[in-house]
Amino acid sequence: MTAPAKTLLSLDGLTVGHGRQPVLEDLSLRFAAGTFTGLLGANGSGKTTLLKTMLGILKPLAGRIEFTPVDGREPVLGYAPQHESLDPIYLLSSFEVVLMGVCGRVKPGRFISQSERDWARHCLERTGAGELSRLQFSELSGGQKQRVLIARALAAKPDFLLLDEPTAGIDASVKQSILDLLRQLHEEQRHTILMASHDLPAVRQYAQRAIWLRQGKALEGPAAELLAPESVEAILDLETH
Amino acid sequence: METLREILDPHFLLRNSVYISVVLGLTCPLVGLCLVVRRLVFMGVALPQISSCGVAFAFALQGWGLLPHAHQRAGEQVLALLGSTVFTLGAILLFSLQARRRRGSLEASVGAAYVLAGAWSILLLVKNPIGEHGLLDLLKGEIIAVSSFELAVTAGVFAAVAATLAVFQKEFLLVSFDPEMAVSLKKNVLGWDTFLLLLVGLTISMAVLSVGPLVTFGFLLLPPLTARLLARNMRQFALLAAGLGGVTALAGFCLACRLDLPVGATDVALLGGVYGVGFVVNRIVR
Repeated sequence: MTAPAKTLLSLDGLTVGHGRQPVLEDLSLRFAAGTFTGLLGANGSGKTTLLKTMLGILKPLAGRIEFTPVDGREPVLGYAPQHESLDPIYLLSSFEVVLMGVCGRVKPGRFISQSERDWARHCLERTGAGELSRLQFSELSGGQKQRVLIARALAAKPDFLLLDEPTAGIDASVKQSILDLLRQLHEEQRHTILMASHDLPAVRQYAQRAIWLRQGKALEGPAAELLAPESVEAILDLETH
Repeated sequence: METLREILDPHFLLRNSVYISVVLGLTCPLVGLCLVVRRLVFMGVALPQISSCGVAFAFALQGWGLLPHAHQRAGEQVLALLGSTVFTLGAILLFSLQARRRRGSLEASVGAAYVLAGAWSILLLVKNPIGEHGLLDLLKGEIIAVSSFELAVTAGVFAAVAATLAVFQKEFLLVSFDPEMAVSLKKNVLGWDTFLLLLVGLTISMAVLSVGPLVTFGFLLLPPLTARLLARNMRQFALLAAGLGGVTALAGFCLACRLDLPVGATDVALLGGVYGVGFVVNRIVR
């Protein structure tokens, strides 16, 4: 019998939303270390709002978010936003974008050391984006940008990797390769991953656990069970009636 | 060439004006670059206007007898700096609070502030014969009477601003490019944003006092917009913007002396010409 995985993050009675308007209410969820969780939901279901609240970008309207310390310190979060959210006016190479990931460890006003630069380069190569290093980030394709943003999240040396729609607006073959990369990161390095997506088959195929946001509530379970065709049918049927 | 040699002569009567133009031309684009990449160009237009309204207000208080009269130029400068700084920083604070709370249209507020500041500057000016003469020169952008003290203070402040921007470029870039990522890395985004905007406000206040709102706006925005067309990375962007600003300031002064034109307006017109050249080069090269 294997010991249950340590909980990395707990949400207790959490209500999230914008301003005073709740989008999701009274969520209580646990995220075990080393699991790959898919956060599923239609557009506007509250995936990004929940993700941003977990990251500290939005304040919760009610409830608690509690991280379990890792090696006596607060866990480091790696965040890959939707690539369209970044302004192309900045003349940044892919390498410079990835280098931002190490800023959490570099004190204000200090230079980024050679070892941190090497680490950023390693992260780019790890995501298959090594050859994009010198190219301007704003000129990359959607899939290439996503690889660079995943590399940037990895550069933070995260204990918890949160990705917002990493396959949105990307063609099928590139989508497959991004999802394969995430699976590889999870299997080889036991990264704890939470991936927001509206793509039900992708979550079912790649994630271990799934959280399905529907009508302000969260359904949770093993991805293979919760998102099995008969369960999905039952949930949708139940809601219809 | 002869004019250039003449204005660079240490005995040239308006040498302080030349130096302050070049210092301003080198520094304002660095600050303006921050406004351009953060898509706050409108703020770059409105803040110099608000700053000059602050100067007009400070002199109006003096005219109404609410503040003691400053009999020396240094006293007037302090008064003007206070008015300019209080108004600029106050406006920045209000704009950034509105942007953060995402209530209403920031563009509409900035636009309204610009128009109102312009109108009030004129109203305060016509009702204040004490400050009218100097302020009119300021609003026209006449860079003529610059004392060595003013030059030293302005150059010192601008050098400090440029050094601060260089030292904390990593932090300013992160919170500007991806504030959400910065939050996830436990950076104090509000603190860094406020710090950056204070630097912007301080630069604009000092620049408006030296050269007026028109020239300040010109140097804040036109060199970065031109540099954006030609640069390939952020370092080139910053160096090119500052370089274009400095060189244009010097060339503008030469041209104004040679053709007997107002320096400020000549500088801005020349910056417009440089932008046009940059635009054409960009179209040809890319």
